[in-house]
Amino acid sequence: MKAKRNHNKLYSFWFIVPSLVIFCVFFLFPILSSLYYSMTVWDFNTATFCGLDNYKMFFSENSLSSSIVHTLIYAFLTSALKVVIAFFIAVFLCSGIRAKGFIRSAVFFPNLVSTMAVGLTFSALMHPTKGLFNIVLQAIGFSPVNFLGDMNLALYSVIATDVWKGLSVSVVIYIAGVQSIDRTYYEAASIDGANGWQKLKNITLPLIAPSQNSIIILSLIGGLRSFDLIWAMTGGGPGFATDVMASVIYKEYAYGFYGLSTAGNVIMLVLISCIAFPLQHFLMKREEAIQ
Amino acid sequence: MKKKVLAVALAAAMTVGTVPAAVFAEEAEKPYEGVTLSMWIGTSVYHDGTKAILEKATEELGMEFEVEINPEGTEGDNIIKTRCASGDLSDLSVYNSGSLLTALNPKEHFLDITDEEFTKKFDDAYISTVSQDGRVYGTPVTTTSAGAVVYWKPDYEELGLEVPKTWDEFLANCQALKDAGKYPVYLSAGDTWTTQVLFLGDNYNVLAQNPTFAEDFTAGTAKFATDEAALASWEKYADLVDMYQPDYTAATYEDGLEAMATGQATHWIILTSVIPLMISAHPEAKENIGVFAIPGDDPEDVGLTVWEPNSWYVNKDSENTEAALAFLDFWCQQESQDLYVNNYGANGPSCIKGYTLPDSVAPAIREDMQVYFDEGKTAPALEFLTPIKGATCEQITTSAAFGQVDAETAAQMYDDDCKKSAVQQGLGWE
Repeated sequence: MKAKRNHNKLYSFWFIVPSLVIFCVFFLFPILSSLYYSMTVWDFNTATFCGLDNYKMFFSENSLSSSIVHTLIYAFLTSALKVVIAFFIAVFLCSGIRAKGFIRSAVFFPNLVSTMAVGLTFSALMHPTKGLFNIVLQAIGFSPVNFLGDMNLALYSVIATDVWKGLSVSVVIYIAGVQSIDRTYYEAASIDGANGWQKLKNITLPLIAPSQNSIIILSLIGGLRSFDLIWAMTGGGPGFATDVMASVIYKEYAYGFYGLSTAGNVIMLVLISCIAFPLQHFLMKREEAIQ
Repeated sequence: MKKKVLAVALAAAMTVGTVPAAVFAEEAEKPYEGVTLSMWIGTSVYHDGTKAILEKATEELGMEFEVEINPEGTEGDNIIKTRCASGDLSDLSVYNSGSLLTALNPKEHFLDITDEEFTKKFDDAYISTVSQDGRVYGTPVTTTSAGAVVYWKPDYEELGLEVPKTWDEFLANCQALKDAGKYPVYLSAGDTWTTQVLFLGDNYNVLAQNPTFAEDFTAGTAKFATDEAALASWEKYADLVDMYQPDYTAATYEDGLEAMATGQATHWIILTSVIPLMISAHPEAKENIGVFAIPGDDPEDVGLTVWEPNSWYVNKDSENTEAALAFLDFWCQQESQDLYVNNYGANGPSCIKGYTLPDSVAPAIREDMQVYFDEGKTAPALEFLTPIKGATCEQITTSAAFGQVDAETAAQMYDDDCKKSAVQQGLGWE
């Protein structure tokens, strides 16, 4: 009992007040007020309450609801590709190859360029007649591909660009993970006669689970709220083919539909939370199981 | 030697000539010396024509200008809305007329200029787009423009084609051009807004068949998907799907300007404000470019859909309203307008009554477009008649232009989009 009182004295409640105030003013209040404004027709001066109409509109209107589907495709596909491709690149870069340092820098390079610049560069490369990709394709005898102009292909062209650009961070995290694995495991496995594939499957893969989990979470959340690359490459087009939630929210805002775009933001918050928290929980469980 | 003497003599004459003029200018009354007017102006409006008048105003009236350039479009909309809300407007702002102005609630923010002398010069069609409750707030920055077909005359001459009076004739021309190995229609879908012009510029034809469409549309009773004339605008996209140049998905407005000014394609359905830009990039194109209205079904009734220009608005709470009004009066004078048009060009006939475009203006504007105005065959674009415009219009028109959705679906999508817009503007369509 006495100890407890001392404890209370030692850590006064007032210690947490500054951070609590900051949290309330900059995080809690905006979240709650955006919940309110998402249920209004709002023009900055007047906010007329309209219940859940904005949410209904978001889910019922084709151009808005298709953006949710695109967001999910975009997030899961970029995340999966990054996790798989980056793993093999990282393993390759940790093997005894020459010029390791140089190749590692080269792999990291795309991440140093601004997303806007990458987007504009790739949309020039993917130009249907003047783009380098199509010039090369035609030179080796294929017919030109309209990477960003074809509605069925545009989203995947942007995804490919995103993977190219975002791969490097995953590779770096993987490399750190691979290098932290104790060498003695591999030696023991070699003595037992394991081949390279077996070592990769039974030692490397389980032991880099922590770094893999970070990559999955980071790239998935990044993919769910991605905006800049899509905006630079297609602006959500052609038509609605690459509109994701963030780009739709931006457009609704720019058009002065503040209530509707706030509702979109709330939906995005809920969507990210609903995916990210259970996923993290599941991945943590898996990590613990391995250890 | 003779030349040298002549040169010296000329130089001397020029110096002598300028001295008294300079002295005279110094002595002249400059009523607004020392006043600095702040000005918020879109990047496409701040060109040589505007700059020439600003310089002249400083020379003659004495005021200086502090120019702030904005990116226009939706970003510009955001900036001016925020500034209106925070009471941070410049002395003078250049912004759209019509529904976008109404959305700002001009009587709250801008100076009422109804009783100014220069306001009496504006024509009625223009005045209706800058008025609220019968009071006038705007002064035209430039001339009118139209959403029309810009075409390359040499191709028409080569194949002996006539300017089409109906949409079917237009399609026949396109087919003939295609058979001759040309690109009949240029599409610049890389800048998605340009794909809207066929739809928006068809408003004359919609109103010709259904004169009350705009009012009924605002009231929520007329729909694009169910009104025959309005649906026809969307069907036009389907007719043109095979007529575009190969890079139509990525080509930008700039690309289109370049291609049309050099005759690489025959038609481009675009705002005529592109014509001064084409001529300044390729002066030799001046005589080769023509304009005709987007044709409808009736050969007897071919008319042009007109966009009224952006306008100057004076900040109601400015300390310099007197100087700003003097500047606007100066802006509307014949000499200033000539200076503007000779330095920049014109997008169409002027909305200042009695002002005729000087001969420096391209025949596409001075003759081709003027005919429709002289015959009274013009109608304003829908955005000047109703506050509702679908937010994703340009995305829907792009889908329609690419043939991804058919006319009925596109029209239905646009109706849904307008409903969203109406609800968000509190118009209560339910």
